[in-house]
Amino acid sequence: MAGRGKLIAVIGDEDTCTGFLLGGIGELNKNRKPNFLVVEKDTSITEIEETFKSFLARNDIGIILINQFIAEMIRHAIDAHMQSIPAVLEIPSKEHPYDASKDSILRRDNRE
Amino acid sequence: MGLSELEHLSLEVDEKLLRFMDQLELLEEKRVSLNALIEQGWFSISKARYSMGNKQVSSLQYASEIEPLLCVYTQKLDNGEIKYSTNTVNGKSNDDLKPVQDIGPQETGVRRRNKKLNVDEKEESEETISEQTYEYPRVRKCGHNPQQDPLKWFGILVPQSLKQAQTSFKQVIELSAEIASLQTTILNSREELWKDMEKKLKIQVKDSSHNVDQVEN
Repeated sequence: MAGRGKLIAVIGDEDTCTGFLLGGIGELNKNRKPNFLVVEKDTSITEIEETFKSFLARNDIGIILINQFIAEMIRHAIDAHMQSIPAVLEIPSKEHPYDASKDSILRRDNRE
Repeated sequence: MGLSELEHLSLEVDEKLLRFMDQLELLEEKRVSLNALIEQGWFSISKARYSMGNKQVSSLQYASEIEPLLCVYTQKLDNGEIKYSTNTVNGKSNDDLKPVQDIGPQETGVRRRNKKLNVDEKEESEETISEQTYEYPRVRKCGHNPQQDPLKWFGILVPQSLKQAQTSFKQVIELSAEIASLQTTILNSREELWKDMEKKLKIQVKDSSHNVDQVEN
């Protein structure tokens, strides 16, 4: 993806993913895995964590957007991510408003 | 000598701390805007779902092949910060993307059949045929262009609320890049601040032990 820019990945509920895909950030083709994951009620924590780690391992993803309530499920994996790229942004969901005290970036500031 | 160095360092720490607080305040403001825009986008999607039907605005409508229209560019600055910026893929806007099918003005003339052609007319007809065949690749066999406007996944005529949702989320994406840049700036500032504070502490310890030695003597 060098020269073409990096992708923005999304891990969120259906409306969040639909909105960001409407915005034009989605990628899905036969050869590559998608850069988004629609988290539903029956989506396992293992699948979420594996998807998150796969996004971190890809060198063509610049930002990962994740609903904060989903981030809470894999908090240990998010806290372990110390690199600048990709940036991880926690966003609110329809049923769970954003809580700055739970944000990994801001908690990293307070922790030390 | 140590005292002036300590004072100088204290002033630096104060300056960096104030800058750090300003950055945190800016981050908070951008976060509030981001959250408001996202909520606006969800509301518009809900309105679209209400008018189109529950199953008409869902992940079932996503295309089988999607290419990104927006991407993010990263730039590492000299001080170690990362600057994020968004742009359309290939520098083209959505308006520049070719539609799946072009009809109307491109259909020129009426084709004639069973006509004896002269040499000139033969050349003309060959050109016309080559033009017509050149147009065909525009229409994919599956009738779907991976780089099309995602609004088209939900039908040809979509409600205004869905377009509003798209606009809101496009703004969210731009704001996300700004917040990502700000986050790296904040982490960088925090690290510098901690280094200076450790340095200040070491100087203070050194000064206090020096003072104790002087008192004992």
